[in-house]
Amino acid sequence: MKRVLRVSVSFLLVLVLGGLFSRSVFVVRGTDDAVSSVGEADAAVRGAFNATLNAEKAAANVSGLILRLNEAGGLLDEAEVALANGNSTEASSKAGQCIGIAESVKSDADALKASALDQARTVFWTYLTFSVVSSAAFVVALALVWRRFKRGNIRKVLGMRPEVAVDEA
Amino acid sequence: MKLEDYRVVFVAVGLIGVLLFASPVLSLVVRLPGGERFSELWVLGPGHMAEDYPFNVRENESYLVYVGVGNHLGSSAYYVMYVKFRNETEPLPNATSGVPSVLAPLYEYRLFLEDNGTGEVPLNFSFSNVSFYGGQSTVGNLTINGVTFGVDKSVSWDEADSGYYYQLFMELWIYDEATNMFVFHNRFVSRWLNMTATV
Repeated sequence: MKRVLRVSVSFLLVLVLGGLFSRSVFVVRGTDDAVSSVGEADAAVRGAFNATLNAEKAAANVSGLILRLNEAGGLLDEAEVALANGNSTEASSKAGQCIGIAESVKSDADALKASALDQARTVFWTYLTFSVVSSAAFVVALALVWRRFKRGNIRKVLGMRPEVAVDEA
Repeated sequence: MKLEDYRVVFVAVGLIGVLLFASPVLSLVVRLPGGERFSELWVLGPGHMAEDYPFNVRENESYLVYVGVGNHLGSSAYYVMYVKFRNETEPLPNATSGVPSVLAPLYEYRLFLEDNGTGEVPLNFSFSNVSFYGGQSTVGNLTINGVTFGVDKSVSWDEADSGYYYQLFMELWIYDEATNMFVFHNRFVSRWLNMTATV
């Protein structure tokens, strides 16, 4: 009887200790996961901003992307606050939402950059064609005017009669 | 006027015309320098005006200011504002050498702004665990936008200005895409706060 009781108590003790240990493991793992999620969210937001900046350099309109980046930044702030308050679940959830927005901003920024570059290329070739053709036409027209003017001027000089001046003195 | 003089006039007109016709494509290639590039940082009172700033503060009362940022850098920018709290012996940022305060930030805001864009964020704060003893005041906790931080700052009675003065200040940092890091943007704003006892 005593032996059974001892075994039962030992078993219960092991169970309780095991439970406590696994609980702390879960808590630590939860915090670690939240920290890494917030870190990933931070990296995702930076990546999305870099992509937005590249799209802006390609002359794309990035107003909509900036609005969404502010939304992602707000979620990242909230995730960090939740992490500081020890609320790992909320921190991970906010970080996850932030990553979702940041990734969609990044892919939209890349697409926007590609289309802006395409458009810029078209505009460049259109302008270049216009500039070259119109400049050439202008130069040719000016050359023709010059020839005509020069011919007229020479004819005028050749048609001149010497003027006789009377010396009144 | 001689024929040679006319020739010079024609060449000049030709060059001006070619430049005019080439101006659309030149505008795409040649980038003219813009104006001065800078960022703004400001702090406003609870009514979004430069008035009614909190000054005489008490334990367990809530105060509100607005912190604003303006971007005139010629491109979009990613800013972080760090909120810090100090007593009179702790360092402020050094504007001359462009070095931030060594104090750890309590709270941070992220803000993305387009060129010529501005943004304003609320900064709601309150103090708790405040004590006064032997010519000293100690603040135990500072709560910013609902998040409480243990600060444990003490100040001595200021004879000259008759008060216990703490300073709440905000530093502006900017994301540098080349290094993938935030760098101090050499701008900060601050508010002096005189801690008073609750009657």
